[in-house]
Amino acid sequence: MCSDLSSSQVKQVKNAVKAAKRKLHTGRRGNPGNAAKYITRNKALNRLQIKLPEFRRLCILKGIHPREPKKKFEGQNKTYYHVKDINFLLHEPLLEKSREIRAYEKKITKARAKYNTDLAHRLQNNRPSFTLDHLVKERYPSFIDAVRDLEDPLTMIHLFATLPADTTHSVPFERVHSCRRLSLEWQAYVTRTHSLRKIFVSVKGIYYQVEVSGQKITYLTPHVLNQVLPEDVDFRVMLTFAEFYETLLGFVNFKLYHSLGLNYPPVLDPRLEQAAAELYALMKDLAGGTTSAPLLEDASAKEDDAPVSVDEQQSLMEAENKEKRIAESQARLASLQDRLKQIEKEKEKPQDDLETRTCRRLFQNLTFFLGREVPRESLLFVIRSFGGAVSWDGDGAPFPENDEVITHQIVDRPTQGHKFLSRHYVQPQWVYDCANNRILLPTEPYLLGRIPPPHLSPFVDNEAEGHVPEYADTIKRLRLAANQQLAPLPGSESGIDEGELLVAAAARRREDLEAEKERELAAMEKSYAEDLRRELAGKSFSGEEEALADVPESEVLPPPKEDDPKDMAKMMLSRNKRNLYQAMEMSNTKKKEEVKLIKERKRKADEKERKKKTRTM
Amino acid sequence: MAASDDDALQVLSGDDQDDGAYSSDFEEEEADSGEEEADLDEEEGDFDDEDEEDEDSDEEDGAADGNVEANDSANHEEIREALLDYIGNGNAGADGDEESDDREAADESDSSEDEAPPRNTVGEIPLEFYKDEEHIGYDRAGRKLKKQARKDQLDSFLDRSDDPKDWHKVYDEYNDEYVELTKEEMGMISRIRQGKLPHAEVDAYQPYVDWFDWDGKGHPLSNAPEPKRRFIPSKWEAKKVVKLVRALRKGWIKLDKPKEKPRFYLMWGDDLKVNEKTANGLAYIPAPKAKLPGHEESYNPPVEYIPSEEEINSYQLMYEEDRPKFIPKKFDSLRHVPAYAEFIKEIFERCLDLYLCPRTRKKRLNIDPDSLLPKLPKPKDLQPYPTTCFLEYKGHTGAVSSISADPTGEWLLSGSRDGTVRVWEVQTGRCKKVWDMGGSVFCVAWNPNPALPVVAIAVSNDVVLLDPEVGDEEVQLNIAKLLAVQPSTSEPTENTPLIGWKRHDKLRGIQLSHQQNVVRVSWHNKGDYFVSVSPDGNNRAVLVHQLSKQQSQNPFRKHHGRVADVLFHPARPFMFVATKMHVRVYNLAKQELSKKLITGLQEISSMALHSGGDNLILGSKGAKLCWFDMDLSVKPYKTIKNHKEDINAVAFHKSYPLFASCSDDLSTHVFHGMVYSDLMQNPLIVPLKILHGHQKGERSPSGSSMLQSYPATSPGVSDIKFHPTQPWLFTAGADSVIKLFCN
Repeated sequence: MCSDLSSSQVKQVKNAVKAAKRKLHTGRRGNPGNAAKYITRNKALNRLQIKLPEFRRLCILKGIHPREPKKKFEGQNKTYYHVKDINFLLHEPLLEKSREIRAYEKKITKARAKYNTDLAHRLQNNRPSFTLDHLVKERYPSFIDAVRDLEDPLTMIHLFATLPADTTHSVPFERVHSCRRLSLEWQAYVTRTHSLRKIFVSVKGIYYQVEVSGQKITYLTPHVLNQVLPEDVDFRVMLTFAEFYETLLGFVNFKLYHSLGLNYPPVLDPRLEQAAAELYALMKDLAGGTTSAPLLEDASAKEDDAPVSVDEQQSLMEAENKEKRIAESQARLASLQDRLKQIEKEKEKPQDDLETRTCRRLFQNLTFFLGREVPRESLLFVIRSFGGAVSWDGDGAPFPENDEVITHQIVDRPTQGHKFLSRHYVQPQWVYDCANNRILLPTEPYLLGRIPPPHLSPFVDNEAEGHVPEYADTIKRLRLAANQQLAPLPGSESGIDEGELLVAAAARRREDLEAEKERELAAMEKSYAEDLRRELAGKSFSGEEEALADVPESEVLPPPKEDDPKDMAKMMLSRNKRNLYQAMEMSNTKKKEEVKLIKERKRKADEKERKKKTRTM
Repeated sequence: MAASDDDALQVLSGDDQDDGAYSSDFEEEEADSGEEEADLDEEEGDFDDEDEEDEDSDEEDGAADGNVEANDSANHEEIREALLDYIGNGNAGADGDEESDDREAADESDSSEDEAPPRNTVGEIPLEFYKDEEHIGYDRAGRKLKKQARKDQLDSFLDRSDDPKDWHKVYDEYNDEYVELTKEEMGMISRIRQGKLPHAEVDAYQPYVDWFDWDGKGHPLSNAPEPKRRFIPSKWEAKKVVKLVRALRKGWIKLDKPKEKPRFYLMWGDDLKVNEKTANGLAYIPAPKAKLPGHEESYNPPVEYIPSEEEINSYQLMYEEDRPKFIPKKFDSLRHVPAYAEFIKEIFERCLDLYLCPRTRKKRLNIDPDSLLPKLPKPKDLQPYPTTCFLEYKGHTGAVSSISADPTGEWLLSGSRDGTVRVWEVQTGRCKKVWDMGGSVFCVAWNPNPALPVVAIAVSNDVVLLDPEVGDEEVQLNIAKLLAVQPSTSEPTENTPLIGWKRHDKLRGIQLSHQQNVVRVSWHNKGDYFVSVSPDGNNRAVLVHQLSKQQSQNPFRKHHGRVADVLFHPARPFMFVATKMHVRVYNLAKQELSKKLITGLQEISSMALHSGGDNLILGSKGAKLCWFDMDLSVKPYKTIKNHKEDINAVAFHKSYPLFASCSDDLSTHVFHGMVYSDLMQNPLIVPLKILHGHQKGERSPSGSSMLQSYPATSPGVSDIKFHPTQPWLFTAGADSVIKLFCN
């Protein structure tokens, strides 16, 4: 025993001496080395005196990630954290709180084990709770920081909003519910401010790009279908992320709503909520800016025709009386709101930028009706964001299918039984394509039963990429035509009949032009005018296109010149720069190869089509 | 009370045990105890635990007060009952009834035997004491009890025969009488004999009934009085209550639950300032954003983005990491699009990336790669330089290994592996002279002194000095004199000469025979000295020869590595010796090492010196070209990796700022290499032109015959030389062609 003591004392003294030496050493050198700056994960665990899952959770919540020291002093395959990060965790109140909670949990289990149900029950009801508010503030000191990092949170929240609450994976239904709620609130805000910019329906899901406080946020939402929870995914990690993101998005939503002068959280109409039209309910709650939302909506929104069970019907009968009263009061409210809106509009108008205005006016005078088979929430979100009025086939719809005001019916079925002649029956892609291109595209290629033209990604800069899909060209021309209020080109090979709609759109566009005097558009006009002039001079448009197409071709394959000044200059590069240059060239050639492949495919496809045509001829 | 209780118990138990001796005292004692009990009962009335005894004693009390003598049997019965109660006999009631009905029967029964007063009072003494007496003892009054006359055999026989119940009778010795056993007693005896309990009615195994009612009694044996504190309100509780009441009144305790704060509140103000640092003072590294989807991810992509069947199949042949992760697919309608199975997994992977991937800020250069290229002056501004092939000198049948131009620029000397050396007229391309050397020519060198047109040719082991027969007669005469071997020179030196200067009979020149292959010959600028290099010659690898005196000397005792090339400084007494990786500069006047250039090259193949003598270029087997500015450093001023394959030769122009390198990749690179007289200004190096035109020659096998083909010929451009006055370049290729490139 005595010897033990003495040995331990000796050890202590030695350690102290070592520490002093280290201090001296580092003090002399000035800046500490990697070993003092970084710490491996296991050592961090020891220092924090927590287990790995807890550490993982803390790291996720606190946004702490490993770092790459210049010299990995403990080995290559170790994870290194910055010492400052770990010390930061050490002072995290959440760490203490989690210990407290763990101790509390023990109390509960103990009480249960002793069949002390009273105590267990009481303890369970008074569990210590914690919030992540301080973490949000700490990680995102200003609002703009939070908005910049919003892509992952939005994707995650939208995913959890569609997940089934599952006990085997311990996805609690509260989380799902709150995520759903937050996602809807976010969408409602976006609709209200018309800040949706781009939509892309991909195989993976639907991408939305939203512009909030000058930041472009692109997030992905899954297709509204049953998600299968995979077995090889650690849902604890996902849930921890979701927990933080939920808090973050809550505060962001609050700030956004606050900036509009609205109360947060918004009050949902319980009836619409029940009819699974929460988004619409929220939108109605926020319906300020949308002038297109007619009063009729509010009144007819009360129509409910789908209850199945008997008792539900009864309760509805009771509710109907109430509804009438509510409708009246709402009508009054709406008229008040209208007046408010006018005031607001006057205030708002100068604030809106050009983009928002164009977005708001895109579907301004159009009324849509969604079929049962189309993704309602997505279309509702898009159409409302771009200023259209929407109804749908189902509970809580604002107006019925046979309403005369409907101009477009969105359908996605092989055949439609009864058709109203006053409407266009288009596929959902039409809405997305129109929204992406900010013009009303001709509906003909999107009509019911046809295979629609390709859906192009709005995130691609075709020119930079090197290959412009055919349909992108068509759209570009249509846009220019719409902007200039010119008749479509006679020689356009696409053969698409640009209808009255286009003319109407063009007319509206011209008004906009007059009012706004867009410089950019003017430039585009100029280029278009030049095109026209050239065309008048005798060159065919298609010929020019070919010429245009030739240009990148020559870029792809420069004829091997005897004396390339580049080759000369390349000789004079230093080794590092040469390697960099080579890597860059390699990636460029790879890209070019890809473009070449795509062009080759296109050529083949065209040939096939031509052959088919000639055969049928 | 406890004492009396004990007494009672004793009495009862005594009664139970003893037969008759104490039975007479019993009544009084019982009575006494009853009285005592009664007294005690009056004093303290409420003892729950002794209810039963109280009842008993009350009854006994009554009996004692009334008729003590008369109620003998009643008393007796009570005691019996108590006794039966005490031992837990269930049949007590039935017993009692029987006895009260028939007193006599009770007396005669075995149980009554105990109670019947014994007539004989002698006590328990052996009856032998009275054997000889006429009496057997005494009765209560003290009178003698007379023995009865004993029956004899006959009498007893008669009795037995008279009385059929005679065998029921038992003789009682103690009282000297015959007792007739009752039927019950007989039964009892028979049961005893069978080993059973004597009383038929006794159930030995009846359920146990506790003699004491424990329920709600507390500790049965404590008779401590209930303490007072149990009856008065607690002081401490009162204090606590007072405290709570006070806290409630003052509002310290709030009875209703605290109002739930709204979960979200306005967290941020309106400042749009962006923070670059996290709260712990480290720079904030935002996670890289996910890549935005392209057309190919669309549910309905353009046709050109959908790979064909063959392409999809070909993906299988790729390495797994090269294989595209996403294969575009077309759906005719939005309703056909299924749920994306990998969705959750991809998001989970993103989550993992967010918290598990080390983050570092890396500059991504999203620039045009051409911006990395240095800005060089245009080659046009640096003219003249050789650009186009003007002439081809054809005639050799083997790879041309070496060329050399004469200092006037009129003639060109070339040596080839076919064993010939030719002299060409530069202007016309006419071959003026052909010498057949009889072995593969490694190197040719024209004397740089215009007054002495002598050529040195390295042919296998020999260096041959020849007269190219150019120039006027006076010169010719001079040369003839020079090339005449002076026998006198060899004689005075008595020790064996290093190299024999012999006459080459066939070609009328001088032949210097070396021990090993000579691969390089180079002249001093003044044209008197030349040096030969035979790399395998060990310490005789480098030999300096003097033409005027026809002498050879070995300036070096040893070499550091295999010597590749040797050059003289054009003006000063320096010599450059290139070994495999270093170039050593020797001061010939002081006979010491002046400098050692560290090249960093793998293997030096050739060397050329600027006419000023301060700048040196090296060509290497690693396709690298080094420029040394010896005033600047012993390390390369510039290393250029211009060729794709080994550099065979490098050359400087004598007057123009030009230099060139040629390589096995069939190209010759011409550079502008301006050396400024201002020491502060570094040399300007600009690549000017890449000259092509030579065909690939055959690489001669080096292993088959060492002598013939050593060293292995290069397949590309083997040698280059600049024209001494014009900006022209001669190139010699392994395709046996010599080309002249002009500006």
